[in-house]
Amino acid sequence: MSAVLLGQALVGGLLTGAVYSLMAVGLSLIFGVMRVTNFAHGELMMVGMYVTVFASAASGLDPYLTLPAAAVSLFVVGYLLQRVLVGRVLEMPEEIQVLLLVGVALVLQNGALFLFGPNHRGVQTPLALAALPLGPLTVDVARLVAGGLAVALTGALALFLGRSRLGTLLRAAADSRDGARIVGADVNRLYGVAYGLGAACAGTAGALIVPFFEVAPDVALPFTLTSFVVVILGGMGSLAGAFVGGLVVGVAEAIGAVVFAPSLKPVVAFGLLVLILVVRPTGLLGRA
Amino acid sequence: MGLVGRPGMDRRAFLAGAGAAAVTMAAGARIGAAQAKTIKIGAIHPVSGVLAQVGQACRQGAQLAVAEINRAGGIRSKDARLELLVGDSESKAEVGAAEAERLIREGAQIIIGAFQSDVVMAIAQVCERREVPFVVDVGAADQITTSGFTKVFRIFPTTSALGKNGAAYLAEIIRLSGAQVERAVVTYTKDLFGTVVSKAFLQAMEAAKSPVKIVEVIGYDLTVQDLSTEVARIKAARPDVLLPFNRIRDSVMLVRELYKQRVPLKGILSPGSPGWYEKEFIEQTGPLGEFAMDAPPWYNPKSPLHGRVEAAFRRAYDRGVDTNSGYSYEGIVVAADALERAKSLDPAGIVAALRTTSIKDHLMAGGPITFDAQGQNVNASTSLIQVQKRRPVVVLPDAEAEARPVFPAPGWDERT
Repeated sequence: MSAVLLGQALVGGLLTGAVYSLMAVGLSLIFGVMRVTNFAHGELMMVGMYVTVFASAASGLDPYLTLPAAAVSLFVVGYLLQRVLVGRVLEMPEEIQVLLLVGVALVLQNGALFLFGPNHRGVQTPLALAALPLGPLTVDVARLVAGGLAVALTGALALFLGRSRLGTLLRAAADSRDGARIVGADVNRLYGVAYGLGAACAGTAGALIVPFFEVAPDVALPFTLTSFVVVILGGMGSLAGAFVGGLVVGVAEAIGAVVFAPSLKPVVAFGLLVLILVVRPTGLLGRA
Repeated sequence: MGLVGRPGMDRRAFLAGAGAAAVTMAAGARIGAAQAKTIKIGAIHPVSGVLAQVGQACRQGAQLAVAEINRAGGIRSKDARLELLVGDSESKAEVGAAEAERLIREGAQIIIGAFQSDVVMAIAQVCERREVPFVVDVGAADQITTSGFTKVFRIFPTTSALGKNGAAYLAEIIRLSGAQVERAVVTYTKDLFGTVVSKAFLQAMEAAKSPVKIVEVIGYDLTVQDLSTEVARIKAARPDVLLPFNRIRDSVMLVRELYKQRVPLKGILSPGSPGWYEKEFIEQTGPLGEFAMDAPPWYNPKSPLHGRVEAAFRRAYDRGVDTNSGYSYEGIVVAADALERAKSLDPAGIVAALRTTSIKDHLMAGGPITFDAQGQNVNASTSLIQVQKRRPVVVLPDAEAEARPVFPAPGWDERT
């Protein structure tokens, strides 16, 4: 195995990992704030991909310019999802929450199949086929843009949560639902906002990959699973953990595909998960 | 003046009158259609789930064939129309079997399907037990016709035939072009189809003592999200040709990634998998998809039926006929032909008629459709097709060819 091949895998893994980070940060945010595992995360990502495909086709704009459309519409979807459905089951046993969200996932997936058919749909952007030479390596421009924007957006979200008033309230609601209520916060609205932000992360991640990964109704499940692995690896509810976890999983998959066999990619990701659960059950950056 | 306004007519009388009128009208409609009898055919395909795209193409092929046959007078010898009952296997064997039970309960006298070999096997067991003939339109696993089923008839080629033909076409292309081809990489999806057919192909290459050396075999998951590492591995193996077994999504990703990493290749030749001729592949890859070759079971462009069927597909579905829709179309044709010739419409009568099938002029490649004792269409065959000017054309065998093969293909940056 050559150094070039490993270098290529490392670059590719980091860029893919950055997108994993963004989608996992959304999942982690939802879990961190209201202790609900969003089983429809990949499906929300799929919705973001469809929004991008249609917004880009209808407006004639480059898919990167329609990114705000995907973010805003997924925020609305997430907000409504929480207020209308998830909010009702927060106090119920976990299995009820799981059933509800798996149900939402099935409705979204088959709704997309009904509305848009099974065919793959992509977007046209001149960047999709561009590549930059980096010494002996090739850097895929579309992935570079996706990875860069994913890192920037994750940073912006962290700033928002850390510095803004709404962000502070969200963190307060995450720490103690009753405490936040006592100081006069509208916890239900905050939960809606958190779900909206989480969904927007998933939707934006979807929008970022559409130039090189076409959307179809059935693309969601692997993304949901990868998000879970990343979040558990990084530490449940820790945003920094989700960010680091995404990069780790992306790189591990790519290196694993080179060192072992490409079909072992999921084995590497889940193997890493098992290892972390054994060695450090709280995750890389999680607190017990 | 309506009935309702007439004095002395109470509600009960009105309902009775309306009911009688409805019955008369319904009967009138049946009489108007001239044929009271219908014969039901059940078609089971994976129209939702991972394979929804090909499943829907299959269903469309079957629907088009039924509509055409009915327009031409249905099953004339029985004075009956065909009715298609559709089922969805969701690409799962157990669902396929349950759907077969349901369609038989609803009166299906022949079943066709089912695209995936494992689903075909499950349906075959139901059909054997319920004694309903089963025409396999698509489904390649050898054991479908070597397991001793007596009601199963397959028009599609077997896996061994696919592998053998793929190796033969590769040798033929190299011979015709005189190009130096020494190294090849095989890629495959790790589902049942990809695993089994790639293995059959590798065995055929070995049996044929092919001078082409397979320097690397790369398998990846069907739901793969990124092929950059796989392609980096392909590039590192320095192949002359790439021999992929795949589905549509990964063929698009593969070609784009090969271009981005500028992997020098004399050509891509899939020894018989989907993904290289569909409208989606051609539209999404544009110039990069040009010159890709594939050796699938394909339609025969020289068939007297081809022009008419192709036009009908384009009219109805805005896409040309291909392997999947074509074979499902042909499955209905074979079923209807047997129903036309059957002495009786009980299972034994239909099976006896299927056994003596001999259809000379038909849509897909290969000689007349006739079944051997095991129910395998002995003349099922494959063609070598190549994307030329954004259209899949047959380049081999000569008798069916629409164009000459282009090999070695021009470099990535010289394509338009």
